[in-house]
Amino acid sequence: MFAALAAFSFLGIFAKIADLKNCRPGAIYTLLFVWSCVLAVFAALVSNQPLGRTPGLVVEVALPFGVCAAVAGLAFQTGIRYGKIATSWLIINLSAAIPTLGSILIYREPVSAKKIMALCLIAGSVFLLWKDKLEDQQRAARQADRKGA
Amino acid sequence: MWLRLMLIAFVANGLGPFGLKILQERGLLEPYRLPYLLFWYLGALPLAALAFLRKPGRLSAPEVLIGGAMGCCSLGGQLATAVALESLPGHVVFAITTGGNLFIVAAAGIFLFRERVGRYGLAGIGLGIVSLLLLGTS
Repeated sequence: MFAALAAFSFLGIFAKIADLKNCRPGAIYTLLFVWSCVLAVFAALVSNQPLGRTPGLVVEVALPFGVCAAVAGLAFQTGIRYGKIATSWLIINLSAAIPTLGSILIYREPVSAKKIMALCLIAGSVFLLWKDKLEDQQRAARQADRKGA
Repeated sequence: MWLRLMLIAFVANGLGPFGLKILQERGLLEPYRLPYLLFWYLGALPLAALAFLRKPGRLSAPEVLIGGAMGCCSLGGQLATAVALESLPGHVVFAITTGGNLFIVAAAGIFLFRERVGRYGLAGIGLGIVSLLLLGTS
């Protein structure tokens, strides 16, 4: 569990370092996916999960959702150039609301009070992050005005 | 620009793991988790490569090192979560990994990278951590 915590935390920290080092999002994510593919093949072979006998449905589901992951990664990596990792990383994690909503709407999963409250708090959090960004922009505009004057 | 890109990332990142739910509903997740991850990464690769080819050029040393490290973290995180779920309840694993990683990255942003986060940002981060803890334990 702590290995997972460290891995996900370093993923966010490396994304920020990549931005500071002016790395191209396309280059970073191409290498990320290539290495992940190599490691996934290795892990599948070690754990005897049959790659060759993978049902068609697994492939049909995995490919389009993988495209979504690439869109997310590229948008995120490009976006942190214009914002802060502290708030951008939160937005990426708050996207857990989408599969929760999907499970409720598509699979008719039971809706608990906790889930409703969590979804409301997520909406509130995104609103506060938007306000924070707005405040940043106003501060930058004021500084630019002062310099201009 | 930031908000537009983050909204795209928010929606796309939320849709990304939904495939796991589809497989879980059909009983295909446990026996084919690793093949699924392999094809998931393979599905992502062409689009990233296309973005790379739009700005081609020699890969720099930081790109190679950071891209490789992020690949290890991405798959390592997924596998470590799966292993943790075999011996610990889901609400504990998701609470620690999600809440913990948010806290660590936000702290790194503020203290390590010297990012200035205002009162709205701090409140948003706090609320976000609470909401994900609630979601993880519901």
